[in-house]
This record gives sequence, structure tokens and C-alpha cells, in this order.
Amino acid sequence: MTAAQPATGHDHVVVAADVNGVSVTEPVPTRWTLAQFLRDRLGLTGTKVSCELQVCGACSVLVDGAPVSACTYLAADIDGRRVQTVEGLAARDQLHPLQRSFVEHFALQCGFCTPGFLMMAKALLDRNPDPTEDEVKEYLDGNICRCTGYEPIVAAVLDAAKRMRGQA
Amino acid sequence: MVLPPFALHRPTTTAQALSLLAEDSVPYSGGTELLLAMRMGLIRPTALVDLKRIPEMQEIRTDRSRLLIGAGVSHDRLATDPLVEQHARLLAAAEREVGNARVRAQGSIGGNICFGEPRSDVATVLIALEAELGLANSAGERSVPAEEFFLGPYWTARDATELLTAISIPLPCAEGVYLKFQTVERPTVAVAAVRRPGGDYRVVVGAVGEVPVWADYPGVGEVDPVDLVGRTSPVSDLTGSERYKRHVTEVYIRRAAELLAESER
Repeated sequence: MTAAQPATGHDHVVVAADVNGVSVTEPVPTRWTLAQFLRDRLGLTGTKVSCELQVCGACSVLVDGAPVSACTYLAADIDGRRVQTVEGLAARDQLHPLQRSFVEHFALQCGFCTPGFLMMAKALLDRNPDPTEDEVKEYLDGNICRCTGYEPIVAAVLDAAKRMRGQA
Repeated sequence: MVLPPFALHRPTTTAQALSLLAEDSVPYSGGTELLLAMRMGLIRPTALVDLKRIPEMQEIRTDRSRLLIGAGVSHDRLATDPLVEQHARLLAAAEREVGNARVRAQGSIGGNICFGEPRSDVATVLIALEAELGLANSAGERSVPAEEFFLGPYWTARDATELLTAISIPLPCAEGVYLKFQTVERPTVAVAAVRRPGGDYRVVVGAVGEVPVWADYPGVGEVDPVDLVGRTSPVSDLTGSERYKRHVTEVYIRRAAELLAESER
């Protein structure tokens, strides 16, 4: 799993990772966050940066399936791992069930928080395909929507979960 | 937005890590506290010593009459690990409610403790469970009771050249309740009330003051909320005034003691 690394003492590291199914090998400054790397180096601007305190959830992405705040996660730490961002959700022109459900439930207004909500919802459904409404609320309580769309968001996640179980 | 520059070390053994630690060369694991402090300019280390490639820091195991948890284990693993659920249910329950799902996936128990954040969920519970914290430096090792580890806000008994290697919880583990009042990402007040294996009771009050306070009682009926609140030093902030927090704390101590008493009926 772990690519060969200079063991110590450099302010750059080479990162070899799978980003949305694409192999990426890039030297990055140690000080770079994953959000910087995704947005500025790979052009994946779907990951948004807002609070930079791990509170708002706009920058949520998955690393080896676990949700992390890309704003407070070193790009160096994706070495040897698999990263999923909102750009990796849809299969070509086919929206992911979560994305389709968000559209159908009008679960967004300005859309800035949406990539984060989608990735957190994916993390939840990957480990719990049949969550209760309370479990959805609890899992998403680290994501903030300032257009106050929480109820449609929760409804969209529950509906997507149902749809995904049906497809399985 | 931008972090200050630093070197990144990635040791694969504890011995290597210890040789790299210094006043400005600091342990790094999940980064949920450290990277925030660095971005705010509160800490400016010249190097981070990444502990995530040291296998023993990720271990959870039992050894004779203790549950041993590597300092690098994430909150999420502690919340879901069968061994922790079996032997230290109160810790597992508290870990399920730390921060948010991302903080739980990224953050380590050791980092949480060593940062010395006064509103740590983990600190309150570890004092209730009488955990011992294993510290190592290049000269040797020592063990510090959780009760003696938290010295003040962001100040612990760990020396800059020491590494917290493992958290050791005596078994059988104390059982009880962990109750907190929380409106933002960290608790306003947290109360752990447990029955200890010896048959007496301990109530720990965390988050509301600069360090946790606690008291032991021969019976759960003897828990004295007013007295215990009197030992805390609540800090007024955006989540409430000192007077308000004293009131909430008293209510939560009472509720925790009642829940514990009910669970024993």
C-alpha cells in the first residue's frame, strides 16, 4: 500500500494516491492541505472550503471510505490511499442516487454545502444502508447549511437509501 | 488558509519517533487540533513527527487485567471496536459522541488527551475509569494516572520530548453513565458517573472548568451535586455565563447520579 517515501526531514513529499479512480503521483509541499491539493493541483473544485475549523463540513471527502475534512487534512496523508470527492459520485452522465434524490427533494438552494452533504451521506450509507431519521440527523450534524435546507436534505438521504437498497 | 511550512517525519517505530521529538518537533497524528492551532499561528513547529506509520500506536488489546489502547487509535475505532465495547462500554459510548463524524474518523485518542483541551470528552471519561497514561522518552518510560495528567488548559504532564504511547484501563472497568450538555462542537458540561469495581462511586465533572474535577462516594445516594459544583471553576464564554454553567452543571450531576442509581435497580 505505502509508496516509497523519503523517511524524514523534507518539506515536500511525493504522494501516490487513487483519486476518484485515477492514479495520481505528485510531489506536494508538506504544508498543503488535501483541499488545496484537490482544488489547486487537480482542479477538483467541487470540494468547497469554508470554516477551516472542521465544523461546517463543506470540504468533506472520503479517504479510504472514511469522511475527513479536506481543509484540515494534510495532502501528504493521502499517500497510498483512495480519495473520493463529489466529482467521483456520478457514473458518467448517470447521477448517483444521492445526487438524484437531492435534486428531486430540492435539498439545496445555493449549493455551496451540497458536495459536503453528499459525501457525508455517502459515508453514512456505505456503513449503514438503512439508517433511521435520527441516525441521519446525527451523522450529518457536523454539516452546516445556511439556506436552512435541513429537512429536505434528511428526506433526500432517507429516500436515496431506500432507492439504493432496492437496487442492491 | 495556508499552513506555515514544516518538515514532515514519518517514523515507523516508537524509538525512531522519540529520537525526532523536540520542543519544536511535535507529535502529529490526526491533526484535528494541531493543524488548527498551527493555522491560527498559536503553534509554529519546525517539524511534525507523524505517528500513523507506527503499528503499535494503532493497537487495541487486553493484557492480563488491563485494556491497552495505542495512542494513535481513532475515536471512530474506539466507538466501534468489539474489545472496547466489551471491556470499557462507557469509553465506547463517549467516543460515539466526540465532535462530528469527520473528527472521529481523523482524530486520535492520544492527540485529544495531549492537546489538553478543557472540553475534552475523553479526559472526563478516562479519569472516571482510572486510566493510566504511558509516556516514553529516549531515557525510559513512566506511567501517569489520568487524574494527574491534566494540569490546566492546553497544559498536561507530558514533557515536549515525551510521547504518549498507550492508554491503559484497569479491568474490570468501572461502569456507569456519561452525560453531557452540548450546543456547539464541544460540550458545555460533561459528567461521568460510575460505580467502581470496588463498589464505591466516582463522579467526574469535565468541560465546564479549566480541568476536570471529581469526587468519590461510598454510595450513589451520597453524591452531593452542590458540593461538587462548588469545586468547579466554570469559565464564562459564548455558551453561557459562569452562573448559568453552575446551574447546568448541578442539574447534570443530579441527572447522572439518578441515571446511575436507576441502572442499578
